[in-house]
Amino acid sequence: MKRKSLLISPELCIGCRACQVACKSWNQLEGTKTNNRGTFENPPDLNPALYNKIRFVEVPSDKNDMRWLFVSQRCMHCDDAGCMKICPSPGALYKTKEGAVVFDKDKCIGCKLCVAACPFDVPRYDRNDKISKCTMCADRIAENLAPLCAKTCPTGAIKFGDRDELIAQAQKAGYQKVYGQNDLGGLGAIYAFKEPPKFYGMEDKPQIPESVVFWHKVLKPLAVIGLGGAVAASLLHYAVVGPKKDKEEKKDE
Amino acid sequence: MSKMITKATKFEIINHWILALSCLFLALSGFAFLFHLEQLNAVFGSFATLKVLHNWIGVVFVVSLLATVSHYLPVALNLSGDDITWLAKGGGYIIKNVSLPEQDSINSGQKLYYLAILGAGLLISVSGFVIWLFPASKSMVLLSHLLHNVSFVIFAMAIPVHIYLATIANPGTFRIMVQGTVPLEWARKRHGKWIKRMGY
Ligand code: HEM
Ligand code: SF4
Ligand code: SF4
Ligand code: SF4
Repeated sequence: MKRKSLLISPELCIGCRACQVACKSWNQLEGTKTNNRGTFENPPDLNPALYNKIRFVEVPSDKNDMRWLFVSQRCMHCDDAGCMKICPSPGALYKTKEGAVVFDKDKCIGCKLCVAACPFDVPRYDRNDKISKCTMCADRIAENLAPLCAKTCPTGAIKFGDRDELIAQAQKAGYQKVYGQNDLGGLGAIYAFKEPPKFYGMEDKPQIPESVVFWHKVLKPLAVIGLGGAVAASLLHYAVVGPKKDKEEKKDE
Repeated sequence: MSKMITKATKFEIINHWILALSCLFLALSGFAFLFHLEQLNAVFGSFATLKVLHNWIGVVFVVSLLATVSHYLPVALNLSGDDITWLAKGGGYIIKNVSLPEQDSINSGQKLYYLAILGAGLLISVSGFVIWLFPASKSMVLLSHLLHNVSFVIFAMAIPVHIYLATIANPGTFRIMVQGTVPLEWARKRHGKWIKRMGY
């Protein structure tokens, strides 16, 4: 199965937020209160009922007072996913054969560690302390349907397809560097950025937190080696040196 | 029959087993979280149950740990040159029948073990409570996750050695945590300083 992806092109986005609404509709997510902070960007942040948000970034412009960049913020479906790495509950997070990182609320134990380990600040937890985030519409993909945000987008700012083809398309359109092409093993949501990633509120080089990598590579094996080594050393000591006995006891024996 | 003296009170014995059982359960469930040991579902049903138990038995563990302080900490902190000599000679565990400095109610090795368990135990408890109760601060959660696992490694290494030394490696020791008493002569050889202090 070829890896699927979403290609997001801020230059094509008109900020209509049809994708935000479509996502709620497909995933049956309730509405969330908006608030006026002097920007059209709303709701203010991803939340358990908002898997996809258009960020409205205001940048300086020569011609006008300012220029808008619109960028969809959602789960990136990382190949090397920090959320999956840290999750202590088997099956709570898993990858579909198309490369979507999906959750199973029944298996999620509500520890919230994934929230801290995600390089993109994506997972949120609901009232029951269960993870919620974009699933790349894995249920639709399984039925050969495109994710609803991509299907709804009127301008093609969110496209869905084979990852390799989307990258080739973006490169042909003049984007030499596709954001997320190689980061974290390659992201499942890739971006055709005209400006440096920072402008869109993205890290230049997104990374799983160092402490999580250290834990995974060093501490986890060390716990097993430590336990095994301590047991082995004890048994070896018993066999080679033997138990401590009083001198008198030995004479008595 | 030689005279028997009390080395652990009933309270200390019961508390030791609360500490030991909670600690072993926490370690087992900890390994299950680290390595997704789904086999445990046969016993506990689900990882969600395991998580709730892990959290609350952590409370039992830390209360029990704090209850050991008055019994062991003053002795464990009373360190001197004798402890260095004892440790340098490997406590007589490497070359048998070396002459060792007289020991208090717990020997130098046990002092270090106690300090390690108390230190790592407080660290693992506090970091665990942060992850459990204060998930909002990501940097605190990541730091706690790291410290929780560092102290877990200390436990994984220390506990098997402790169980070995308290049982088959030292005949006569295990009964301290069952009957609470030991023969006076047995104690005189191992805990001379303590026996003198007690005035026997
Ligand atoms: C399950 C097997 C275990 C056995 C058979 C065992 C046995 C013993 C014995 C006999 C003592 C008294 C030693 C003395 O007073 O000279 C002791 C002390 C102690 N035990 Fe355990 N124990 C076990 C597990 C644990 C676990 C899992 C912990 C984890 C925290 C623990 C913590 C302690 C502490 C802190 C002391 C006091 C320091 C010392 O005397 O070394 N024990 N144990
Ligand atoms: S973006 Fe975050 S939540 Fe999504 S797969 Fe990557 S680490 Fe997991
Ligand atoms: S909150 Fe749920 S999905 Fe996230 S790490 Fe914990 S068990 Fe896994
Ligand atoms: S892929 Fe599906 S779940 Fe993800 S943002 Fe789009 S509509 Fe929502």
